[in-house]
Amino acid sequence: MISPAIRSSAIATALFRWRTLLDRVLVLVLIVALWQGGSMWFGAYWLSSPWATTTRFVEQILNGELLRHAGYTLAEASAGALIGGLPAVLLPFWLRRHPIVVAILDPFMIGGYGAPKLAFAPLFLLWFGVGMESKIALTASVVFFIVYFATLAGVRTLDPRLVQMAQIAGASERQIARHIVMPAAVPNIFAGFRIAVPYAIGAAVIAELISSNRGLGYLVQTGAMNFDTTSVFAAIVAATLLVHAANLLMNTLEALLMRWRPPLQSMMET
Amino acid sequence: MTATGLAATLLEVRQLGKRFAQRQGRDRGRNEGREPSPWVIQDLSFSVRAGEFLTIVGPSGAGKSTLLNIIAQTDTASAGEIVFDGTTISSRDPRALKPGIDRRIGYVTQDDNLLPWRSTLDNVLFALEVQGRLNDETRAHAETLIRTVGLAGFEHYYPHELSGGMRKRTSLIRTLVYDPPVILMDEPFAAVDAQTRTQLQADLLTLWELGRKTIIFVTHDITEAIALGDRALVLSKQPTRIAAEHMIPIPRPRNVKDLFALQGFAAVYERIRADVQ
Repeated sequence: MISPAIRSSAIATALFRWRTLLDRVLVLVLIVALWQGGSMWFGAYWLSSPWATTTRFVEQILNGELLRHAGYTLAEASAGALIGGLPAVLLPFWLRRHPIVVAILDPFMIGGYGAPKLAFAPLFLLWFGVGMESKIALTASVVFFIVYFATLAGVRTLDPRLVQMAQIAGASERQIARHIVMPAAVPNIFAGFRIAVPYAIGAAVIAELISSNRGLGYLVQTGAMNFDTTSVFAAIVAATLLVHAANLLMNTLEALLMRWRPPLQSMMET
Repeated sequence: MTATGLAATLLEVRQLGKRFAQRQGRDRGRNEGREPSPWVIQDLSFSVRAGEFLTIVGPSGAGKSTLLNIIAQTDTASAGEIVFDGTTISSRDPRALKPGIDRRIGYVTQDDNLLPWRSTLDNVLFALEVQGRLNDETRAHAETLIRTVGLAGFEHYYPHELSGGMRKRTSLIRTLVYDPPVILMDEPFAAVDAQTRTQLQADLLTLWELGRKTIIFVTHDITEAIALGDRALVLSKQPTRIAAEHMIPIPRPRNVKDLFALQGFAAVYERIRADVQ
């Protein structure tokens, strides 16, 4: 069944992948070189060098310190993404049959979306204490609004002809929500989480920065207090890698759940 | 204008009228004596017998889809009524509509409207699934239909991996599989090439011979109306009415591919063409 056209496009895809990988390495080298240059210019005391950061990073991985703190931050971000994300996904489904409620809520949702949630961090600390709870509350509030609007957009752009087809076939409202609206909204839900999860990790780190005794934000904070920029950088690198890992997980999940989608050709064009 | 005596009337359209609601806009307040919107369909009547294959021919924009939407109960009627199996089913109130009236009216729409996240087989099984009728017997029936229309081997393909003709076949048997007594078809083969269309028409006739469902088939193609129907109605331009009615005297089973050679074809074609404006 494999035609020459498909085979040549497979070769093009492979070439595209290698080219991307190679250029990414070049960009990484450029960033590291700039970093190294900055470190030499300002002095390693103010701006730690890439090599010192890498050494510290490996050291802290090996003694378990970094993993312990990163695990803590990851737990907060995951709990927040779940607690904020789940109602954000379900709400537009419940509201689908009640456009009036959506219209009433709209200005408040936009307000919640636009409000600087990080400014709430001191309040959450006051209400929920310096432990995990305050960080989870902050990440949940960040994730909720992003995922809510993404899911709402998915529910709104649903093709009404598919709903009509299902009604004619005898589907109940519940079955329509489950078999038509939900799968149609999955790409939007993913798009929402894809944007929200890096914010969730960022929010958890910043809340830890303000007040905590564990987590990557705590490492950044203690590093800065001790004028130890190497530790600050090591923690920032760890947070960045965490975002990448989360993104990779979502890519895998998305590819698995959305096999039905035609491949996006436009993404492959150079 | 109905041919009586052969079988009982199953569905009757009585003086049906349709006009769409005034457009809501800035001009609305300014127009003092609001002009009523024009009638799209007006005083349209016909009836269909149980087991009849009725074709409806009309030019583009003649309100053919609107007519089927009203019968399928996905749209309201503005005047007149539709009586199905002894009860009035049409309504003026969109909230009172019951699309498909308890699964008794199937609708093969112009677009295939396949669920993109379901494979061919799962699209075909969709209605049975939501109706709670999925069992070994109905599943076997679905697989038979898939084989009949030449989709064997493509059961696990997603719609985007199928050709236009294959998607049409899938959407056709998706409705046939749950066996509604009446099936509406809205130019289902309009978007495919000529060869594929002939094949799809042949497939449809094969399937229809098996079950003899009541079919109302809308098309703008006169040849198609003759190839498939027992009787053809010709629609006028807007406001749409029935302009003419023609019996199709070609015996069944028909061979769609050799239709032009059949006796009587040319005569019917000419008569219908004269009525289509």
